[in-house]
Amino acid sequence: MIDWQPWAVQSATAIALIVIVTGLIQTGFYIVQLVYAAIALSKRPPIARSSVLWRRYGEQAPPVAVLAPAFNEEVTIVESVRSLLALQYPDFEVIVINDGSKDATLQRMIDHFGLSPVDRYHDLIVAHQPIRGLYASSRIPRLLVIDKENGGKSDALNAGINLARAPLFCSIDADSLLESDALLRAVRPFVEEPVLTIAVGGTIRIANGSRIDSGRVLDVRLPRRFLPLVQIVEYLRAFLMARLALGQMQALMVISGAFGMFRRDRAVEVGGYSHGTVGEDMELVVKLHRHMRDLRVPYRVEFIPEPVCWTEAPDSLTILGRQRARWQRGSLETFFRHRDMVLNPRYGRIGMVGFGQVLIVDVLGPIIEVLGYLLVPLLWALGLLSVDYLLAFIAITFTLGIFVSVATLILEEIQLKRFPKARDLAILTAVAVVENFGYRQLSNLWRMRGWWQFLRKQQGWGAMTRTGFQRD
Amino acid sequence: MNPLQFLWLVSLVIAAAALTVMFGLIVARLLSVRHDRAQAAERKRIAPMVMAGDLAAIDGPVDPHLLADLSAELIDMVRGDDRSAFVASATRMGVPDEFRSRLKRGNARQRVTAAEALAQFPDSVSRDSLQTALDDRNPDVRLAAAMALAAQDAAPPARTLVDRLSLGTRENSLVMVGLFEEIGRTRPDEIRALILDEGVADTVKAAAIEALAGTGDYSLVAPINDLALGTDPASPALPRYLRVLAQFEHPGGAGAVRAALDNPGWATRAAAAEAAGRIGIVDARGALAGLLDDHHWAVRFAAAEALAKLGPPGLALLGEAATSDQPRAREAAALILAERTGARR
Repeated sequence: MIDWQPWAVQSATAIALIVIVTGLIQTGFYIVQLVYAAIALSKRPPIARSSVLWRRYGEQAPPVAVLAPAFNEEVTIVESVRSLLALQYPDFEVIVINDGSKDATLQRMIDHFGLSPVDRYHDLIVAHQPIRGLYASSRIPRLLVIDKENGGKSDALNAGINLARAPLFCSIDADSLLESDALLRAVRPFVEEPVLTIAVGGTIRIANGSRIDSGRVLDVRLPRRFLPLVQIVEYLRAFLMARLALGQMQALMVISGAFGMFRRDRAVEVGGYSHGTVGEDMELVVKLHRHMRDLRVPYRVEFIPEPVCWTEAPDSLTILGRQRARWQRGSLETFFRHRDMVLNPRYGRIGMVGFGQVLIVDVLGPIIEVLGYLLVPLLWALGLLSVDYLLAFIAITFTLGIFVSVATLILEEIQLKRFPKARDLAILTAVAVVENFGYRQLSNLWRMRGWWQFLRKQQGWGAMTRTGFQRD
Repeated sequence: MNPLQFLWLVSLVIAAAALTVMFGLIVARLLSVRHDRAQAAERKRIAPMVMAGDLAAIDGPVDPHLLADLSAELIDMVRGDDRSAFVASATRMGVPDEFRSRLKRGNARQRVTAAEALAQFPDSVSRDSLQTALDDRNPDVRLAAAMALAAQDAAPPARTLVDRLSLGTRENSLVMVGLFEEIGRTRPDEIRALILDEGVADTVKAAAIEALAGTGDYSLVAPINDLALGTDPASPALPRYLRVLAQFEHPGGAGAVRAALDNPGWATRAAAAEAAGRIGIVDARGALAGLLDDHHWAVRFAAAEALAKLGPPGLALLGEAATSDQPRAREAAALILAERTGARR
């Protein structure tokens, strides 16, 4: 055994303590979030039946413009648009934005829906690439197609915001599947607090493995492959625990780009979606918080626990890694763009809680955890740390990780029961345990890659190949 | 035990506890599958008898939960005499007792649905339960109970409800419009009194006005016009007042509409422009033409639409604006004209 100098032992202890305390703060955040999520679910439980939603909110629901950006989606665009047109909502318009597709996305829509060029008076308030043409049909008055030059998703959404005439808009991914009552569910906070509510996010679920027909999820089933399965547990943690809790705390920092409903006037006041970031969804929400706090106007950004949208999760390590690195880069871009808000009491709970969580979980979290994996076992092996430090490190990375994931599943099962079979629950419980041994570490490496890309100011989304939903 | 050992131990205990609870839930789910299947079969068995209103034809005891849910669904699906017949037979079968019990002891979701279901049972005991639910701790339950009582024409006076449900202060849901509509069907004077009541919030007044807008009672136009003229120009309720005046399409609302055309708030200007078009205030066409160059798009759009609705005098101004040297006004006028004629520029 080497007889180490006291400074070496002290340095090793300090490193271990930083790793352990950061992990403890992270876990503390998660436990508080679990409590808040449980409170949110008991205070405002989800409404099970669409007919009840329609009866309660249909009369007062304000008009909504659904904005669906599309890029090279010729294979699925017709079915996607048909499914959007079949949404159950009293007054809505579907605006599809063809973002300079290189394939026949536009022509497929023109042919199938019998569209022809139209003029429409619209706003020019938020910036985007030039519009090449507008298309509509008197047979389908709810549908408007914008054909514009390519500028990316945020650019396409900005064009949609300019064309929208409804007081609310709902931004979605054209390749996601919406629940038929998604708009009615998401509009609930706008009806209940019409002046205060400026944005609402909803739960996104993974459709891999489920039975799908005509753009609707008919039978919820678990995927067979491990990667989509583990993402189901991740999405539960992200949506049912973190976002629901942060919504309850009024510190929600991100509304998924796959589904979010916003007050158009407030989104316009902050300049719409930002260009030059891959985290345009988080950026918009943070800009809204900043704007409202600067104006000193009371407001609410809400989150609803009901599933409103289904998405296809990547099932290859390469694509998943790319997606996670991009998400990490998006968080970092927004965090550093708005660094003056971080822990700034002037921004209230957004500065302290919202940005505090981003700092601990997204900014410092992956770096310190990866350092922990490298250094704590090494320092223990070298005799610089006692076994207690190693056990405490295992506690914060593995056993508390298992606790948080399983506790989220418990919350799901007690309050929502969305997985139809006991077998599904057993599989997800096993996944919630197993993911801590290997997948969690891999995920941190992807996030470190996101850090690296951020430092190198790398732009762009990278290819996001999808295999397509399993349809009937 | 040092803090690090304590952390290790606590993490093991809570992770094990979570896994144990989850195991229990999985077992409970396994057991519930059998129960759910039995419930589905039972539901299938009793549905024809419940539809026929003949509980005596059912062999053996009937689960009151199942009976209540099934009855509520059936009542929801039909109207008129069929509904009355279902309600009468459900009452004989004791369904209201089950919903009253849920309203008292269920979770928030169950209490809301129970209050909604009890709207169909106008007996005095159910009404008493709904009256008690007006003081429920959950705002959704309180509102649902008020709606149910209003559907039975048994709601407390509207002013009392405003205080009891904290309408306009803690409760701002637009659902209150539906509540006032329901009360206003038989007691419109109570809703009308809210409009002139100094003690209620602007949002309540706006809801009361919107609730009465569908009645077509033109005697409301003058008080709404006065209210709009006397309201703080920055009030978020003002555009709502103007939209109701637009809905009446009565010239009695022209005063408030004209005054609001130069309101500092764009939402109010846009609502006023829309109202001017729908009421047909031809002498406001000059002001509307001026709004074609407003800095806010929604105002320009509403002004152009309003001018088009005014007929030849408005269309003439739109035509002039379409060739003017003001780019914003020109764009708005030309495109609205193109939209209306279907011609492309």
